[in-house]
Amino acid sequence: MQSTGGHPKYLLCEISFASPNGWQHVEEKKLHRSILEAIQKAHGDFGVACCAVSFAVKYLNTYTGILLLRCRKAHYRLLWSTLAFIHQLGKKETCAITCIHVGGTIRTCQKFLIGYNRQQLLRKLPTCKSEAERTALQEAVRSCTLQEDVVSASEEDSN
Amino acid sequence: MAVFVDLNIRQTSDKNLLRKTIEIAAHLGYSTIAVNYVIEFQDKKQNFIKPIPVNDLFNSLPIVQGKSKPIRVLNRLTVVVSDAVQCIELRATSPHIRLYDIVAVLPKTEKLFHTACMTLDVDIICITVTEKQPFHFRRPPVSGAIERGIFFEIIYSHATKDSTMRRYTISNSLSLMQICKGKNVVLSSGAEKPLELRGPYDIANLGLLFGLSEGDAKAAVSTNCRAVILHGETRKTAMGVVYTMKKNQTLLDKEEDEVTHPLSKRMKT
Repeated sequence: MQSTGGHPKYLLCEISFASPNGWQHVEEKKLHRSILEAIQKAHGDFGVACCAVSFAVKYLNTYTGILLLRCRKAHYRLLWSTLAFIHQLGKKETCAITCIHVGGTIRTCQKFLIGYNRQQLLRKLPTCKSEAERTALQEAVRSCTLQEDVVSASEEDSN
Repeated sequence: MAVFVDLNIRQTSDKNLLRKTIEIAAHLGYSTIAVNYVIEFQDKKQNFIKPIPVNDLFNSLPIVQGKSKPIRVLNRLTVVVSDAVQCIELRATSPHIRLYDIVAVLPKTEKLFHTACMTLDVDIICITVTEKQPFHFRRPPVSGAIERGIFFEIIYSHATKDSTMRRYTISNSLSLMQICKGKNVVLSSGAEKPLELRGPYDIANLGLLFGLSEGDAKAAVSTNCRAVILHGETRKTAMGVVYTMKKNQTLLDKEEDEVTHPLSKRMKT
């Protein structure tokens, strides 16, 4: 990772689409471009200039809909307010982006994400239909630890 | 920690859509939501809609994210007034009003805005966000409303959809903030579809664009909304202190009664 100077902030976001087809066209580069376009719409040239300094899409998980954005600490509120205004991505796919955590390092975001994904598993527990499903889910909750990679922990969520 | 409240989820005839929206609200971390029934008196004999009981929507209410309690669903009535005659319906003794937990009003003219702030028995005064503010806010009615504990509501879902609406929302709310200084403001979604909802922290951040300070913006989605709900409760009770019910009817019987008869019928007898 190249150093950009200054302190960064990391925004951990959750994207939800109206239809599952929305995920087909989502990739890091396209997302990067469409978020910059949204900033241009909401805050103009000044906003783009402020955010673009160290703006990057650091992580994208299309299974769980998790997105990690990096931005300068001084201007992350500009970026954050833009995210709330995004209602479409790609070709007219309705979506909503909600920020679930703001962290100073990737590590704190990772810690939060593991806790968050474990919570999502627990929330699914009352909806289980069979006993086997239930034990599988409980096993998955127990296996969520910090030592594991974020990717593997969050992929369990989608199962 | 303060709990988050969204006081405006638009009622739709599609029950599945409403159910989905409430589920998403619980997922985002809202502890209480209010389903909004809007009435416009365009034709003179517009009937009041009876609120749908929550039991019709859910067998078991969805659990709030990060809490172990189920979400609380309230009913709210919004009356669009463009004529002073329509204010008669808003008396506290009106049988329709008693069915709802929260009563809001959307005044169309400056004169009605003044009466709404100073005399009407309502909890929320809505601010138009879909068009240019038709009148200027003046200090006496706004400070009068703040003194009476009435809150001003700004709806953000229009701002997410369209760039013109976004301009109106921001400029109208900035002109309100100039007068009320960030006090007594609630931010709510006005969402019809699940994806029009945003997370409570996103909204608190959005409040900065609407001219609120950081603390005021957070209060606008949490503590101010609680004050609105409590203000609504004072209508049903005597100043929120004394509550009356029929003599030989204990609280348990009352709950059973609620299940067997619809709320509207019980009130009339």
